[in-house]
Amino acid sequence: MVETLPERTSARDFWPRLALFGALVGAAFLLLLGRLYRLQVTQGKEYYERSVNNFVKDQKIPADRGLLLDRRGTVLADSRPSYDLYLTPYFCGRKCDEVVGRLSAYLGLDGETQARVRERLAASRGLSRFQPFLVEVDIGRDAVDVFEARKTELDGVDLVPTPHRAYRLGTLAGHLLGYLSEVGPAELSALQAAGKDYHEGDYIGRRGVERAFEPYLRGVDGAERVAVDAKGRRLPGRTDLIPAADRIRLPRPGDNVVLSIDARLQKVAEESFPGKAGAVVALDPQTGFVLALVSHPELDGNLLTGRVTRAQLAALAADPYKPELFRPLQGQYHPGSTFKTVTALAGLRYHVITPASHTVCTGGYTLGRRRWRCWKDQGHGLVDLHRAIVHSCDTFFYWVGDRLGLDRIAAEARLLGLGNPTGIGLDTESPGVIPDEAWHDRVTPGGYQRGFALNAAIGQGDVNVTPLQLALAYAAVGNGGTLWRPQVVRRIEDPEGKTIQLFEPRIHAKLSIDPKDLAVVVDGLTGVVNEPGGTAYPHRLPDVVVAGKTGTAAVVAYGADLHAKLDYWRNDHGWFVAFAPAQDPQIAVAVLNEHAGHGGSAAAPTAMAVIQAFFEEKKQDQADPEPLPPPARPSHDDQAPPAPPGKKEVGAMPPRPPRRKAGAWALGKTGGRGAARVRRATPARRSASPGDPPLARTRLADRREPRWS
Amino acid sequence: MELTAPTRRRLFARFPLSPLLLTCAITGLGVWNLASASRNVQGSLWLSQLLWFAGGLAAVLLFALWDYRHLAWLAYPAYAVVILLLLAVAVHGRTIMGARRWLDVGPVHLQPSELAKLAVLLVLARHFHESPPPRRGLRLHQLLLPFALILLPVALVVKQPDLGTALIVAAVGLTLCVFAGIRRTTLVILALAGVTAAGGAWQHFLKGYQKRRIETFLNPAGDSLGAGYHAAQSIIAVGSGRVTGKGWGQGTQTQLSFLPEQHTDFIFSVWAEEHGFIACALLVLLYLALVLWALWVAGVARDRFGSYLAAGVAGLVAWHVFINIGMVSGLLPIVGVTLPLMSYGGSSLLTLLLAVGLVMNVQMRRFG
Repeated sequence: MVETLPERTSARDFWPRLALFGALVGAAFLLLLGRLYRLQVTQGKEYYERSVNNFVKDQKIPADRGLLLDRRGTVLADSRPSYDLYLTPYFCGRKCDEVVGRLSAYLGLDGETQARVRERLAASRGLSRFQPFLVEVDIGRDAVDVFEARKTELDGVDLVPTPHRAYRLGTLAGHLLGYLSEVGPAELSALQAAGKDYHEGDYIGRRGVERAFEPYLRGVDGAERVAVDAKGRRLPGRTDLIPAADRIRLPRPGDNVVLSIDARLQKVAEESFPGKAGAVVALDPQTGFVLALVSHPELDGNLLTGRVTRAQLAALAADPYKPELFRPLQGQYHPGSTFKTVTALAGLRYHVITPASHTVCTGGYTLGRRRWRCWKDQGHGLVDLHRAIVHSCDTFFYWVGDRLGLDRIAAEARLLGLGNPTGIGLDTESPGVIPDEAWHDRVTPGGYQRGFALNAAIGQGDVNVTPLQLALAYAAVGNGGTLWRPQVVRRIEDPEGKTIQLFEPRIHAKLSIDPKDLAVVVDGLTGVVNEPGGTAYPHRLPDVVVAGKTGTAAVVAYGADLHAKLDYWRNDHGWFVAFAPAQDPQIAVAVLNEHAGHGGSAAAPTAMAVIQAFFEEKKQDQADPEPLPPPARPSHDDQAPPAPPGKKEVGAMPPRPPRRKAGAWALGKTGGRGAARVRRATPARRSASPGDPPLARTRLADRREPRWS
Repeated sequence: MELTAPTRRRLFARFPLSPLLLTCAITGLGVWNLASASRNVQGSLWLSQLLWFAGGLAAVLLFALWDYRHLAWLAYPAYAVVILLLLAVAVHGRTIMGARRWLDVGPVHLQPSELAKLAVLLVLARHFHESPPPRRGLRLHQLLLPFALILLPVALVVKQPDLGTALIVAAVGLTLCVFAGIRRTTLVILALAGVTAAGGAWQHFLKGYQKRRIETFLNPAGDSLGAGYHAAQSIIAVGSGRVTGKGWGQGTQTQLSFLPEQHTDFIFSVWAEEHGFIACALLVLLYLALVLWALWVAGVARDRFGSYLAAGVAGLVAWHVFINIGMVSGLLPIVGVTLPLMSYGGSSLLTLLLAVGLVMNVQMRRFG
């Protein structure tokens, strides 16, 4: 093979361009060095910090939410250790479908949850595959055991210990306490814009005390700094990357809220309430502090805070008994005969009547061509104010109302706090309606007519009040004219139990009512319970002199067929409002039993049971002032033993003193069914039923993202 | 022509020891650096790199015994073989991460695109040696053949797709053409044509991810978690090394997998993070020394063929280093270009060692 090798030539020709070449390369490399100098020397510190931020992640240590305690220190709500179930798509890989299937089989996930999990799995791509997401919140003890046993078959499944709110006494005071749920996306941005320290997945108080005292209860979350890799996976072996001093920031638990509620009394009130729906309010007429606040049916805070399905929420919303309605504050009802106290005070104030004024009840009152009927068809005969109150004679009050006119009745009602929010500071209160002439001119077709005053005088027509308003008005009557702002919280304690804020009684108004007028009315109210023939006489208490008034509020106006059998929804509301002892009241109670008929039989027994329990407990507390155990905090550590001895007792109800059997209403029979029947002066108009405030709902789709950020 | 025993002895007396040591130094630092970069990825990468290095070194020493001038004769056959290999890759290649770049040869995966760099260099050196450019430089029609020789492998490599290697092949080829001398007017025309072609390539040839990288480079803030994520993480790694670095095996960006492709294209980020500015400057100076040495050899070679070869290798190393460090430090968009002798990869290491051996060969025979 012939090959010719290149012959020798001089490379001198190349020298200038080689020099240029070298210079260009030198310049280019100098540019590189300049860039490196800028990055590493000039901006080195900044980039160093960014590289640290890259691998340091703060993992939240949730703060314990403050306890809710009753006035005697009984724990109503605390946090218990629980487990949330998470799934990381990356770690179950191709077997995710099988894992979900097994989870459903072992832990019984419902169809809705399964669908959501599969949807989430299908949607996760790229880095989000490393993001654990919540499958099920608060799985039970049994499920934890099952998980431990089957761990190896459940790739990518994690149990994360999370404190969970526990309402120790179940549904007791469910509305008053409220519940928690996760912050929604829109709410979250609003909170963060307001500078509040909320993050995705945080719980926030909904309704009741949980909501009103959220800033105190919440506490401040702590954080654990951990090293993570580029995919966000925790690196337990690399704690050396984080200086020891920075590793952990302990959470600050929330403050405890001590309610003015007495859990025992609340329980008596709930258990002695016989109806399907209604309200019980008990408060201290000398301070305005609420002792018991029942809205029946109660909300289940444990259900609503935890795993609540769409179906359960839908059932709650569709329930005809409206469990979402916080009746003492939000329910508006005709006060019926309980309003006669107001009419009586107005009559005395404007000298339309004196205690000695009397009229004859012939079973009704005629105005123009219409007749307003008394509940007692055969009439009460000669009645004065005292007799009219004791026997709840409608005719007498039609007469007073006709002579007063609507405006003066309305003025007296407003003076007593009716028709205005009480300022209790929980949820959204309904104001109620106290119509006056201008109101009718504005609202009623045809404008004001004289007959409206007659309807209003016996608490019918368009008069609407809330049970709380009525309880406060009666408390004011009983205590000599102090209208309180109701409060449910006595004090706030720090986590160690030291009081940091004490709430003093707050006066809403000192009423300018002549004490003599008050004395006359109180005398009448005492007669209702304590004089034979009084509408609540069968339910009187042996040891305590109770003053009160029954009410039977017609729900539907109907014609002459007074005694027809009515179905539930058309039946009257039963009221009983009282205070005791009559001369120096220590407790005021309002009971409303929806669609239960006469107030004497449907509401008075509950009120009496509450009053009886109140005085018995008072006696017992004085004889044996039992020291209260300090509130214990459950540990969040999943390794912690189940419960140190003695801890359980904290949440349990203290033994209740023996209570008189609450069967009194079965025995007694108050003056037959009969109530103020109103033939309306104008076509029947119902006052608008209070709008149901929507229950703050956790949408499952928006459920918590994991707390890894 | 057979070499006789005395010439061979003289040859070894002239053996260029310092460039060999320079090369060994860079590769040694590379293996050490690789050992850190691959600590928690694949443990023995550095060992495999060391084996390739040993093999490459042996090949270079053997190659030194053989006169480079035979390559002038072998240039076209070698070029033809590389083109065939590239075609074979296009048909039979192994696909890794969406790109068809590798050819299985027994136990090793060969990357013919790496060899294409040397083949283009050889064939152009031979061409310019045989038909020396006129004094005032090459005219357009005289550039047609060289351009065709460059474009053929470039097109095949772009198709793989491997934009980085194609860019290097084209850059080295064009550098050689410019080095050979091009008329000024022709250069202006070419520059205009180049701009137009770049626009056309953007429209028709670049893949979506390649366009995105360039767009991200032009507007890095626009997309910090997508295509810009790699660039951003690399810049953080480089900058966080500060003056003296975080220490071997202590780079958090490296060890916690924040860096993409940290043992190949982004190996310099690892070096910069763990050893800092001083070590970076040292490395850049070592590369500069290597390039200047090759340029010196080009100036003292016994024939034009040798000069073109040495200048071509100088261009090869310079372009690699400039593009790689430039992209890692955010000066240039991200393209897959390795850092010579530092990046993990047998084909790449072997190519560079052969290129260095070529220059040594030219240097050894400058008096022959």
